[in-house]
Amino acid sequence: MKLYLRLVSALIKGVEPNDKEKKRNKIFYVVMSVIAAFGIMLPMAFFVGVIIYTVTSALTQTGTQENGVEMFLHLIAAFSFIFGLNVFFSVFYFSGDIENLLPLPLRPYQIIASKFTAAMISESVMECIVIIAALTGYILGGNMPLYSWLISIIGTLTMPILPLIYCGIICMVVMYFTRFIRNKDTVNKITGVFTFLVIAGIVYLIAQSGFDSQKLINALSTPDNAILRVMNIIFPTVPLLVNSMETQGIFNILIYFGVNIVAAAVFMLVAQAIYFPGVAGIGQGMSHRSSSNTIQKMRQHSPCTSYLKKELRILFRTPAYFTNCVMINFLIPVFVCLAYVVHKQTNFLESFVYGIHSGNEETVLIFMLGISAVSVLVTALNCIASSGITREGKHFSFIKYIPLDYTAQLNVKAAVSIIISGSGMIISVIAACILLNTGFKFTVFCCLLSLISVTFATYLGIYMDSVNPKLIWEDELNALRGNYNIFFNMAIAIVTEAVICAGSYLLFKFTPAGSILIIIILFVALMLLTTISYLLCCRKATKNIGTL
Amino acid sequence: MIKIENVTKTYNKTVRALDNISFSVDGGEIVGFIGPNGSGKTTTMKILTGIIKPDSGKVIINGFNIKDDPIKAKQSIGYIADNPDIFLRLKGSEFLELIGDIYKVPTDVRRKRTEGLAEKFGLTEALGSPMISYSHGMRQKIMVIAALVHKPPVWILDEPMIGLDPKSAFELKQLMREHTKEGNAVFFSTHVLEVAEKLCDRVVIIKNGHILYNGTLDELEKQNKNESLENIFLELTEK
Repeated sequence: MKLYLRLVSALIKGVEPNDKEKKRNKIFYVVMSVIAAFGIMLPMAFFVGVIIYTVTSALTQTGTQENGVEMFLHLIAAFSFIFGLNVFFSVFYFSGDIENLLPLPLRPYQIIASKFTAAMISESVMECIVIIAALTGYILGGNMPLYSWLISIIGTLTMPILPLIYCGIICMVVMYFTRFIRNKDTVNKITGVFTFLVIAGIVYLIAQSGFDSQKLINALSTPDNAILRVMNIIFPTVPLLVNSMETQGIFNILIYFGVNIVAAAVFMLVAQAIYFPGVAGIGQGMSHRSSSNTIQKMRQHSPCTSYLKKELRILFRTPAYFTNCVMINFLIPVFVCLAYVVHKQTNFLESFVYGIHSGNEETVLIFMLGISAVSVLVTALNCIASSGITREGKHFSFIKYIPLDYTAQLNVKAAVSIIISGSGMIISVIAACILLNTGFKFTVFCCLLSLISVTFATYLGIYMDSVNPKLIWEDELNALRGNYNIFFNMAIAIVTEAVICAGSYLLFKFTPAGSILIIIILFVALMLLTTISYLLCCRKATKNIGTL
Repeated sequence: MIKIENVTKTYNKTVRALDNISFSVDGGEIVGFIGPNGSGKTTTMKILTGIIKPDSGKVIINGFNIKDDPIKAKQSIGYIADNPDIFLRLKGSEFLELIGDIYKVPTDVRRKRTEGLAEKFGLTEALGSPMISYSHGMRQKIMVIAALVHKPPVWILDEPMIGLDPKSAFELKQLMREHTKEGNAVFFSTHVLEVAEKLCDRVVIIKNGHILYNGTLDELEKQNKNESLENIFLELTEK
């Protein structure tokens, strides 16, 4: 047990920012934490809590009050499972610490158990906030006593275990049976693509339901809901926990613990049996290709072009970056088309299309604000910019010893983000405009708006990363996950964009200014913000790099 | 060609890594930089290449002050860092192309130099493969080629022999000699005293951020008669 705890503590230290990084900018961390807490976490928790409270209150009349929270927890478990797959492939098989752990006299299950725990702790913070919010909504909606609060705390801390154990077992089985495939990166990339296809599928299914709250309540008020029945078999800990809160009996909570313990035991048995054969030879994934021709193919380019190509190659070839930073951009157009197909016949879309065609000022403004908001959100979410310096990791010194000034290097890093995020967004905007039949000029204008929003979020991201980049990480996924800078950048970008969008809409609603004037103001505000973030990047970020 | 004057560097306001050190490396010289672990060798190398800023003092590379004219100073340097695990997702040829572009090496010149160096270090066949598939030694070799492909007048090499097979180490030593014969400067750190003994015109010995000795090995041996270089080094650094 002592060994296990020591290993977990050592592995967590490898993921979290080290003390030196924390001390370097204490005020920065405090300010950003406050913005993230009040800008993202608390509103999100409040939103979840209110929804579950409302659904539980509504379902109490039919005696099926647990169905709402159960469905929500199943959804969280499903997402945790889907995102966990990618994480555990990386943590179990591709992290840099494997080469140090394998030669130690440790049993496979000891390595896996400690890696699993460390990864679960660093991955589940947001999930725990959402779970506690949902359970709070459920307790308040169902008017439950103190005992339920106690169970909810246990549930919050232990609910992420089962879905992640499923991920762990699937990773080990896949790697065991694909151990003869020499290029392990391919396995990693395929699982990444699979993950996003599953997400697209879930989004499609949710979109198909039409977000009709009455339909949802009706479905959940059915005592024998078919989806819930299936989900209860897949994640049995969810109904056990909820029933335990509902009935206040000890039996359900004991079975809840029992299921988790059995799952953990099976997980460790699988690890003991198949982890080492799967992990062996991971380092020699690729063979040498003889190509005497490569030298003759060399050609001179400008330093910035070459630097840009290097950045793009690394993003596209590193599985963790490809799945987390690149792929998301090209799924947005798919989501746009899916959303259109699903809602084609609904009144909402018909009235929206009519609003755009007839030049309804409010509809046009909402469409524009939506484009700007999604552009900023996607650019912050894909973290190409906000991990631009972090991705250099241990070879950060390269930035400093090459004869290329920092401003040029940062601008190239920004260009990479603008190219990738901008391409995804422009395809999405064009797709949306074609589907809504908006006309050429309007489409060009929307593309410009999207590009400006992407540029603003990009330079903001680069600046945020320069303040305190996470340069010590074991594998590429760790550079992105557990990286507070990315989260803080997201918080700042979301809060700023929310202020701009809300401000624009309120101006439209409560002043005589027409939509054209508001859109001009929106454009000017975004240009101004882009200029400020660009200047921050060129002046402050270059200075920050110099002092690192 | 390398001049470091009164340089001081303190980490976290407590650890004094370098304490007012000064030395120079002239054209035509190979100077070895030796000292125990944690003595300040890598810090010195990083200050020379502009990776970290000194608290005080001046660094001149090929006539350019690294603080005032960093791009021109860096353009004159060929640097091998202490860790060759860099941009492993790139192919060897792509990495060399990046370096060639950054140092603005014309196409025909870079092809010729890359071909010659790759052949010398037995890396021609591997250039088309991603560096992640390379062994530690191969990665070190590609770093050596990258540092030399733009033919810089000043070589600053941090433990360049580590990981190299005997043939490649021999080739690198030959290259260092040829380079200095052309009037250029080589400054490298090493823990292998035999390498310093056979290769260097002069050595700089550092301990706890202080320069303990700066001169030729012959002079050092004359001052400490009948003692091996190993014993002299141990006596100096364990005082």
